[in-house]
Amino acid sequence: MSAFAAFGVQTGLFFRRKLFETLRQPVWIITGLTAPVLYLALFEPLLRPLAGTKAFPPGHVVDVFVPGIMVLIAFGAGMGAGWPVIWELDSGVIERLRVTPASRLALLLGTVLRDIVMFAVPGAVVVAIGAAIGYHVHWGGLVLLFVLLALLTAACSAASSALGLKLRQIGSLAAVVTGAQLPLTLLAGILLPLSLGPAWLRVLGHFNPMYYGVQAARSLAAGSVDTGAVGLGFLVMVVITGLAMWWGTRAYQGAMA
Amino acid sequence: MSSPPMPAVQVTGLRKSFRAAGATIEAVSGIDLTVPAGEIFGLLGPNGAGKTTTLRILTTLLPADAGSVFIAGADVFRAPGLVRRRIGYVGQLGGADKEATGRENLLLAGRLYGRSAADARRRCAELTEVFDLDALAGRPVRTYSGGQRRRLEVALGIMHRPQVLFLDEPTTGLDPQNRANLQEQVRLLRDGGTTIFLTTHYLDEADQLCDRVAIVDHGRVIALGSPDELKERYSADTIEVTADAGAEMLEDVACSLADEPSIASLAVANGTIRVTAVDATQAMALVFGALAARGVPTRAASVARPTLDDVFLRETGRSLRDTGSPSVAAVSEVAA
Repeated sequence: MSAFAAFGVQTGLFFRRKLFETLRQPVWIITGLTAPVLYLALFEPLLRPLAGTKAFPPGHVVDVFVPGIMVLIAFGAGMGAGWPVIWELDSGVIERLRVTPASRLALLLGTVLRDIVMFAVPGAVVVAIGAAIGYHVHWGGLVLLFVLLALLTAACSAASSALGLKLRQIGSLAAVVTGAQLPLTLLAGILLPLSLGPAWLRVLGHFNPMYYGVQAARSLAAGSVDTGAVGLGFLVMVVITGLAMWWGTRAYQGAMA
Repeated sequence: MSSPPMPAVQVTGLRKSFRAAGATIEAVSGIDLTVPAGEIFGLLGPNGAGKTTTLRILTTLLPADAGSVFIAGADVFRAPGLVRRRIGYVGQLGGADKEATGRENLLLAGRLYGRSAADARRRCAELTEVFDLDALAGRPVRTYSGGQRRRLEVALGIMHRPQVLFLDEPTTGLDPQNRANLQEQVRLLRDGGTTIFLTTHYLDEADQLCDRVAIVDHGRVIALGSPDELKERYSADTIEVTADAGAEMLEDVACSLADEPSIASLAVANGTIRVTAVDATQAMALVFGALAARGVPTRAASVARPTLDDVFLRETGRSLRDTGSPSVAAVSEVAA
């Protein structure tokens, strides 16, 4: 078997293993599906009075809000990766896998691909419900939106795995992830568009890679595929995904000392 | 196999330090070892002696600061991928996926080494039978008892028929029956041609299970050889004879024996003569003879064979049995 074919087989095996890990815990599937529905049901009415003000992006409030929730789901699906990594460190699973000839990138990718599924399924549910309450579906944009946010999920998942491998403690990981969550999500304008905020907040947002993802997501959700925001969003997502993958693979490769 | 036979494990000048809390602790301070193929080799030593660190370097998990390691001819530092194909490893933590079933664990392990699904299933069936796991294979590992889990973990380590199997404290935490059972499995593996490299802090395990033992302390090998060789080379039998006589009479007996070449040391205390000698039978005859010549009746006599602990005691001035509490080095080893 060529090295490349072996890598493919290993990635598939690790993906299957991680998928089973999730399927064995139906509670995650239920909350994974209900949370976005709750966001739609509870948050959308809050935003409705804002729509139509001049700072609010143009379009139906659901049109603005659906891509926001999708980004949030992608972020959440990816950021959960680090917790099981720490359980697997504690139970020696990772040590055992590291002694096999399996590729460390395949090990990381198994989790990343599972997390992409964990984003895509609730994401599709959100689109379906959103469409029912007034979201205008643009098919081309929607497909690209899923690709863009799969990249974001991959970046978050790889970074979370790397953090788990480096920090090795549930408490430290929780502190870092929740600590990063607020500035990352707020300064990306995920739920409330940054255009509502003061200038300094908008400037700060430009230093957050997720901001470009959200801008691109809004554009794609509205069916505008060939905008600068989309190009920039893809560029930033590809770069941070690449960096996070490199970091995660490095973390699996060695640094257990 | 081609000649000259390639050693299963060859370690030269191995060193490894850790930085912990601002201090540098040398966990491995220059270890040299050669383990020929087909033996059960044990690293025996107290907690923090550097056993686990050494094992982790040998199994590609940890880089070293200096030295070279070859496993079945492959360079651990230059060709870790090659080494990983040739070794199996069962760590202290075990490493079975607790939520998955035993069979799922085994099949994944087999396929990660490039076996086909059918081939992995065949090997899995073989191992669940050998390790008496047939009835459990379809259950999640979290429902297994400690002994059952350990058996599965060893099976995981040999799914791909490794040339060298590394076991880190394999019987720690097992009850006597499970321990004996596992030791028997290890012997069978050795008889099947697998080289076994294990660590242990149990004296009796090193003594009874291992073909050769390296006793390590503070990151160094302080004694190396078969358990019998070590005990003979480093210590002697101890004979104690209690007799109905005053201290003066016993001192006199002791003095008369002092020049006997077969007797290493003599001491008298509380009506007992304590003799160490390489050959207990001969020394015992001498003591009895000297007592009988003076008409002193013997009340009790005992012979204690040397243990590996005597070897450790002689080399370090400490008993292995007393070194259970974790030292600074042990803490750094856990952190590693």
